[in-house]
Amino acid sequence: MMHSALSRWTMSYFAAALFFFVGAQVLMVVGYGFPSVAAEAPETLVVVHMVTIGWLSLLMCGALFQFVPVLIARPLRGEGLVLPALLCLLAGLGCLLGGFIELSGAFETGVPLLAFAGVLLPAGFVLAAYVLGGTLWGARLPLPARFVTVGLPSMLVTALLGALFALLLSGYLPALAEFDFRAQALPVHIAIGLGGWLSFSAIGVSYRLLPMFMLSPDKERRSSKIVWWAGAIALLPVALATPLASLFGTPDVAPSARVVAVLLGGISLVFYGVDLAFFYRHRKRRAVELNSHAAKGAFLALVLSATLLLALLASGTVEQHAGALLYLVAFGWLSGLGLSQLYKIVPFLTWLECYGPVMGKKPTPRVQDLVAEPRDRIWFVAYFLCVTVGAAALLAEQPGLFRIAAGGTLLATLAIVTELVLARRLKNVPYAQRAPEGALPPRLFLPRTH
Amino acid sequence: MTQPDYELDVRPIIAKGGEPFGAIMEAVATLAPGQGLRLLAPFKPVPLFHVLGQRGFEPTAREIGNGDWEVTFRPATGEQNSGAEVSAPVQSVDPSTWPEPAVELDNRGLEPPEPMVRTLEGVEALTSGQTLAALLPREPLFLFEELEARGHLWRGSFEPEGHYRILIRRG
Repeated sequence: MMHSALSRWTMSYFAAALFFFVGAQVLMVVGYGFPSVAAEAPETLVVVHMVTIGWLSLLMCGALFQFVPVLIARPLRGEGLVLPALLCLLAGLGCLLGGFIELSGAFETGVPLLAFAGVLLPAGFVLAAYVLGGTLWGARLPLPARFVTVGLPSMLVTALLGALFALLLSGYLPALAEFDFRAQALPVHIAIGLGGWLSFSAIGVSYRLLPMFMLSPDKERRSSKIVWWAGAIALLPVALATPLASLFGTPDVAPSARVVAVLLGGISLVFYGVDLAFFYRHRKRRAVELNSHAAKGAFLALVLSATLLLALLASGTVEQHAGALLYLVAFGWLSGLGLSQLYKIVPFLTWLECYGPVMGKKPTPRVQDLVAEPRDRIWFVAYFLCVTVGAAALLAEQPGLFRIAAGGTLLATLAIVTELVLARRLKNVPYAQRAPEGALPPRLFLPRTH
Repeated sequence: MTQPDYELDVRPIIAKGGEPFGAIMEAVATLAPGQGLRLLAPFKPVPLFHVLGQRGFEPTAREIGNGDWEVTFRPATGEQNSGAEVSAPVQSVDPSTWPEPAVELDNRGLEPPEPMVRTLEGVEALTSGQTLAALLPREPLFLFEELEARGHLWRGSFEPEGHYRILIRRG
């Protein structure tokens, strides 16, 4: 088929993402990076960027390449750039991780790895944003897509700031060395990256996936619009406070901007909670599938993260416990949602790819037959339980306990990844139903060659 | 003893963009035993031959100029010239010339991908040229792709309530 509605490279993005997610957790289990060393140590930066770029950003990009065209019923524009984007991101991430490891003193290459990363990673993100933004451009945008339109510029801002850091660390931007990037730009890099790019896009995706699979009414609600407006406006002071303050020489603006951002972000989250409750309560499907069940763990982690942030702000200990907060956001909310939705998206896309050609002509297995929900329930429970323990361990400054918790999340992740591989291989489908004549069993993570 | 044929001209209905299927079926329901239906249409309503054939009517069709057709459906028991053409399906891509749907499906309350599976099952059960109408929870991008790959034609639009209605003509 020429204009396939199935995104060609999405499974490759997912496979790379899961590889980095598992890798980062292995490092955490063996005690590499925070909390064994400082939060800003190069070792920590290795783990952090394996999670945020390697796992979460590749996952989100891969998902959006599939999701955006379906959402607005338009083919992907510039589909040929999707693979180059992946290659740029992988090469750039490799350089970034290599550069950090070099900073940690483990080895020396004599190659300006961080400078390469500072070029390759933004290039990859710009390509991805070009394809997704170009597809969205001029289309009638339903609410979930409007969240993505905030996510994409946030992704670019995050990548740009990251590139500045990388070039600065590599010594290629001596002119900028005087500027205190760590105090001024690092919080923006983190907040816009996790909040604007990953969280906002994830919320947008959830607005479509949850009603779609639970058969809830998905007419646009006023509360959903408030989520968008409050969230989008909250990002502005976060992104602009520092540059405006230094431009106008009013550094005292930053704290009040932060208050505005937290307030608006809070409003956004409360209404998001209202919408989620609505979706679950008004679903037409009696039985909630494991993906939607497991997503509740992620939403709970989001509530916990917001509560923790407020508590840390109130007690003035944000700096001290930022590690625990970021861990909860990245592993509980974003990774939890990612894993739970992969558990549906991978079998669903696999089913379409394999059985699409015989649909309606021959009996096919159900999508649910590609996974074994009862067996996997325990792994999602274990995952969220261990994330909670891990966050608590970081708060209580118990690195030993944190490593044990990381071992638990790693084990659960590996079990879920195994299940996804089995789904791709159709191993859970009874043999007699597996391959009716005309079905196209997919490859593990590469597109079919035509 | 047989009454004269009941005459129904659906050309004004179709010219106004309306759906004549209801009017035709209403007319059929009012026919007396043994009475025939003389239908005037702006195209040769071949799929209707099939629908009414199942109700025991045999068609006689003749072109009356300007692309218009006169078709007389008579109860099959009556004496009838068997020369009626029941052959080539309408090849028009223009949906306004499509026959009324032989099947109507409401697939809104189904979990994905069931709406698509049921719709395609329905399409596969049609004979060439017949149409099927389906209500779907949303615009079905994956379905479009399958329809295209299988050589079927379709038109669709959003309904005011937010769901999507698709009319598919089997190729």
